[in-house]
Amino acid sequence: MTTDDRWQLPDGIEELLPGPASRVEALRRRLLDLHRGWGYQLVMPPLVEFTESLLIGLGADIDRLTFRVTDQMSGRSMGIRADITPQVARIDAHSLADKGVSRFCYAGSVLHTRPTTLLGSRSPLKLGAELYGDASLAADIEVISLMLETLGAAGIKGMTLDLGHVGIARCLLAELDGELHDSVYEALQRKSLPDLEKLLEGVDPGLAARVLELAGLHGGLEVLDQVPTGLGDIDAAISELRQVAAAIAERYPDVDLYFDLAELRGYRYHTGLVFAAYVAEQGRALANGGRYDDVGQVFGRPRPATGFSTDLMVLLDLADAEEAPRESAIAAPADGDAALWQAVARLRAAGEIVINDLSASRDGRCDRQLTLRDGEWTVEELE
Amino acid sequence: MPGVLTLALTKGRILKETLPLLARAGIVPVEDIASSRKLVFDCTRPGVRLLVLRGTDVPTYVRHGAADLGVVGKDILLEEGADDLYEPLDLGIARCRLMTAAPVGWTPGPGRVRVATKFTGIARRFFAQQGRQADFIKLYGAMELAPLMGLADVIVDIVDSGNTLKANGLEPLDLIADISTRLVVNKASMRSQHAEIQELIAELREALA
Repeated sequence: MTTDDRWQLPDGIEELLPGPASRVEALRRRLLDLHRGWGYQLVMPPLVEFTESLLIGLGADIDRLTFRVTDQMSGRSMGIRADITPQVARIDAHSLADKGVSRFCYAGSVLHTRPTTLLGSRSPLKLGAELYGDASLAADIEVISLMLETLGAAGIKGMTLDLGHVGIARCLLAELDGELHDSVYEALQRKSLPDLEKLLEGVDPGLAARVLELAGLHGGLEVLDQVPTGLGDIDAAISELRQVAAAIAERYPDVDLYFDLAELRGYRYHTGLVFAAYVAEQGRALANGGRYDDVGQVFGRPRPATGFSTDLMVLLDLADAEEAPRESAIAAPADGDAALWQAVARLRAAGEIVINDLSASRDGRCDRQLTLRDGEWTVEELE
Repeated sequence: MPGVLTLALTKGRILKETLPLLARAGIVPVEDIASSRKLVFDCTRPGVRLLVLRGTDVPTYVRHGAADLGVVGKDILLEEGADDLYEPLDLGIARCRLMTAAPVGWTPGPGRVRVATKFTGIARRFFAQQGRQADFIKLYGAMELAPLMGLADVIVDIVDSGNTLKANGLEPLDLIADISTRLVVNKASMRSQHAEIQELIAELREALA
């Protein structure tokens, strides 16, 4: 093993050095304080759990994104969490089991077996919120608002809110069976009209036409008018989209709204409204979420659920890169009498950084020093 | 770059058939692509510029947003996966077939088949669907040579006229996919420049009709 092999980190695994580390931590505190103000209670689920509770069908991808190890205590398979939402769902369904509405927030690292995007990290720092026990649109609007507030508080500007509803595709694709359903779903995600035309050759022409139309339904508010009416589930979905769009437009007039009715991210576990926030030039959503009712079923307690999550590392990269003010510290002699010790303690308690002079070279952050003047330890500017 | 749509083209045969199509949609490079050594070209239509790349690089440029749109063969999209791209239009040019081929009269024996191909991903999926175990040998050109020299039993390759196969004593066997050239779009660009991109797609669709 050469030195070059020793210092390298695995692909997609990051460390945070002094400047960025304190900015991420400051951001994490600010955002969790924001969530607290909205009544969301902080939970800290564990880093590893048995795979049975982690892999509860919240996304087909989660299964292959999860690192597994064998628990030597029980012989069971454990997973290093690749997503925190299933853990919070378990907490809501089993650990707490409150009857009313529960609001939770969390912030923590997850680990992925492979990056989910090009050049993406395998160790995102997820921050998110989940709301359980309320199936109303007001809950969705609350979570979307909290997501936009979160991004705003992180300094993100010029956002576009994507709104979709898996009920529309689900209603149309319900009539297709097995393999064809999966192929059509896959082609819809790519909005591949040529592939869809080919796949739907043998299908009822009316249905084929509606699925092809769905692939083209993306853009501004006007796309909601282009959806064919008369199918119960679809009409209900469109009505929900209109109400949410109106509420968000009133609260956040600066946020652009974009509708993509064929956006099927999370199609397999989402049950209603889905949403994501984007900024220009970024192919990947900064934050996303949606309704995933009844996921607690596997823990014996189905509940309405909606929530969102974001990655603090990505937010930090995109937030206005205002230079953090240079840290200002006070140098103090490393050895001195009790009076020095008390003077240092007072300064630290007042929020100052006080650094002992340990060796010949003084810490570069010091711009002041403690000196003994007329029997008093006083702070003086350094030259 | 905001306000400018960057269109990545595949060089070679696809490029020759793409340019007349683009011209019908009002997109003409201001200088002759064939004689220039440049790789980026402005167009007579304002707000559009062209890149000329190797086909395998086109999806990479579009995925990363280095280009907003791309023109690329379906063979490359099938091989590399296109989950993170939109693929709204079949340009219908450079049509060919992706097939297996083997020396005339070859019949599969028991055990594993050795397959030489540039498209190892597609070949692996195809043989798995057929329920046949196979080993794959990645080659970058002249697949037809591999069975002749005993390197492989079967090849998976693009077949146009079939003349190269015939000249080397091979015959086409199974059709894996019909291939043509597709227009692909970056997902973020589709959001941020929705109107411009929809307009361009509509004009290309008209030019195809």
